[in-house]
Amino acid sequence: MEIETRDLRIQYPDRDRPAIDWLTESVARGEIVVITGPSGCGKSTLCQAIAGFIPEIIPARVDGEILIDGNRVHETDSARIAQRIGYIQQDPDAQICTLRVEREVAFGPENLCLPPKEVSCRVDECLEAVGIEALRHRETTELSGGEKQRLAIASILAMHPRILLLDEPTANLDPHGAKMLFDLLSRLRSERGMTLVIVEHRIQPLIEMQPRILVLDKGRRVDRHARMRIDPKTMGRRGEQERSGYPTPVGDCMLSIEQLNFAYREPLLENLSLDLRHGEILGVIGPNGGGKTTFLRLIAGLETPDAGRVQMASGVRMGFVFQHPHHQIFERTVERELLIDCDAEQPTDVTRWLAAGRLNGLGGVPPLSLSLGEQRRLTLLTALRRDPNLLLLDEPFIGQDRQNVDWIVSQILDHCGRGGSVILVSHDIPIVEALAHRILFIDKPTHFGVSLDVFDALRAEGRIEFLPGFWEGDR
Amino acid sequence: MMGRRAVPCEGLRSATPGTNIILLLGWIGIVLVSSSILVRLVTLGLVLLLAGLSGIKIREFLRSLRFVIVFAAVLFITQVLSVREGAPWIGAVPWLTDVGLLSGAGMALRFLVILTSSFLFVSVVDPDRLAGMLIRLGIPYRYGYLLILSLRFVPFFQRELRIVREAQRIRGLRASVRSPKGIRRTIRYTFIPVLVSGLMRVDHIALSMKGRCFGLHRRRTTPALETFRAIDGLVLAGFAGLLALAVIAGRGGWV
Repeated sequence: MEIETRDLRIQYPDRDRPAIDWLTESVARGEIVVITGPSGCGKSTLCQAIAGFIPEIIPARVDGEILIDGNRVHETDSARIAQRIGYIQQDPDAQICTLRVEREVAFGPENLCLPPKEVSCRVDECLEAVGIEALRHRETTELSGGEKQRLAIASILAMHPRILLLDEPTANLDPHGAKMLFDLLSRLRSERGMTLVIVEHRIQPLIEMQPRILVLDKGRRVDRHARMRIDPKTMGRRGEQERSGYPTPVGDCMLSIEQLNFAYREPLLENLSLDLRHGEILGVIGPNGGGKTTFLRLIAGLETPDAGRVQMASGVRMGFVFQHPHHQIFERTVERELLIDCDAEQPTDVTRWLAAGRLNGLGGVPPLSLSLGEQRRLTLLTALRRDPNLLLLDEPFIGQDRQNVDWIVSQILDHCGRGGSVILVSHDIPIVEALAHRILFIDKPTHFGVSLDVFDALRAEGRIEFLPGFWEGDR
Repeated sequence: MMGRRAVPCEGLRSATPGTNIILLLGWIGIVLVSSSILVRLVTLGLVLLLAGLSGIKIREFLRSLRFVIVFAAVLFITQVLSVREGAPWIGAVPWLTDVGLLSGAGMALRFLVILTSSFLFVSVVDPDRLAGMLIRLGIPYRYGYLLILSLRFVPFFQRELRIVREAQRIRGLRASVRSPKGIRRTIRYTFIPVLVSGLMRVDHIALSMKGRCFGLHRRRTTPALETFRAIDGLVLAGFAGLLALAVIAGRGGWV
């Protein structure tokens, strides 16, 4: 066995239950294992422990043992671990250490004191392996999300590991970027025989690679599939909440956009016109860097259009939930965060809001100590607390488990049921398809209309990764 | 390490970091030592010329330095108004003396040269190449990489600060500096989210560096010494000319 955990138990300081709870598991050489499960189930902890970061960098109590090729991780020199195991974090941007693509790939081999010629060879080889040779002299800050992900993989491959650990590698990628990444992983496995351990919520596109699925919950293995066998219901779609094909609400117009044009370095939005009605959900999809978030920012007044106009009906109150919850958390306690900039509130009301967000008993807790899912619920609650009738949501499902996704979906549907409207930017195509009355696909060319028309147009263009069927069965 | 690097030939951008350091220190040294306004003016002209030749749009360059230019103007005016020595420059305005004007111009030019040349240095020198040179000079590589990492964080903090300010705007939180409570609140609402982002980023980069064996050995492979190119020779020859002008101006007592 290439990787083995024996009675592994990991507990972080100040936590009342272990992140990994007596886990015994093994991964054979050349195998692909996908680890999935709800937020906080121990997926990332397991990867970080295998990579040797726990407890060396991240303090935690570790019982049991992890073996790589029969050698105990905690007794193995970390350089030897890094040469065998490459760990790629969720946000590729956050792990880039240098300012140029070429230097980034050379960073690891240089730390290993390899001769300059060898370093140069590895840089060439890895840039080619991930298909970014043309970006060699580019600044790392100029790369798109997908390019950064490829760079992160190239910089790890340059260490010549035999095992790759990838922590939610598609979380920040658009469907096209995610498909390219899965193709790359498939090639690495077939050409190099690499062992892949992938933490991923979106499993369907990995089916072709015939992975073994390891489902964790509360640090324990709860299900183990010998081969890919996903039940769409258990992996979670919204079942009865599916609304694909529902007619567009015919209420009053809430938002009108006419001939909108906006460009940064190059045009993002060109002559875009649409309207949004009370009770309507508009799904916005498209590739990374295409202008989806910019579209929300233009509506929120955070950007000024180059031409055209965004017009709100009178009485529209807007709530905007950003992609990363920590940007919108300001106060010392959850309760204060909910009451921020509000008049004196009845305590019962706060209790009601906390209950609505499944945050009961957490009113006195510092919001930044909450889990990512709880922080997301809190930021959505604080937006709803201001009673908006237009809700702008930027990638609300990233890093969220099924329970949280269901909660967010229920809030969206409740909001629309009360006559409010939602503009939902998301890479999660099946959810967008299920929720949105109309879809805006932002790229060249832009498509706007009911979901069937938009997906037909994308199918005709051969952009299958943006079709719901490509991701069917996820979650 | 990368052998002969194909750096695009864009003025000072393609010169070695060593040449750029010599130029920066030389310019600053000349305007500090030389009392000639002409020399300072020529130096400022050279800085702007080289900025233009390095692919920087002079208009944007000056716009980025607008606060420096305004401050230089304030220095000039203050000096002109406060110096009473010398002959009146215009008879009807006795407080406007030639000594005041020259000392004001000299001080403002010195300030401008130091700031514009430093800004030009930061704009054209690739921190990776600079760190490589410092490491070659014997500076421990951990400190060399501190430079790169700190520069890596500059755009990150700028972006985070912008996002947090926008989040405040969306939530209807207004920055207030009218009362101690308002200042405290503004600081807390701004710095806590930015600090959290920064700490999260530091954690991620620490893991990434550790996962690639940074700090494992006392030494690491250093990039190959960059070759001296024609542009380096040209730039240093130009600098020698400026130095000669400064010496002649000093000996001749030029204004």
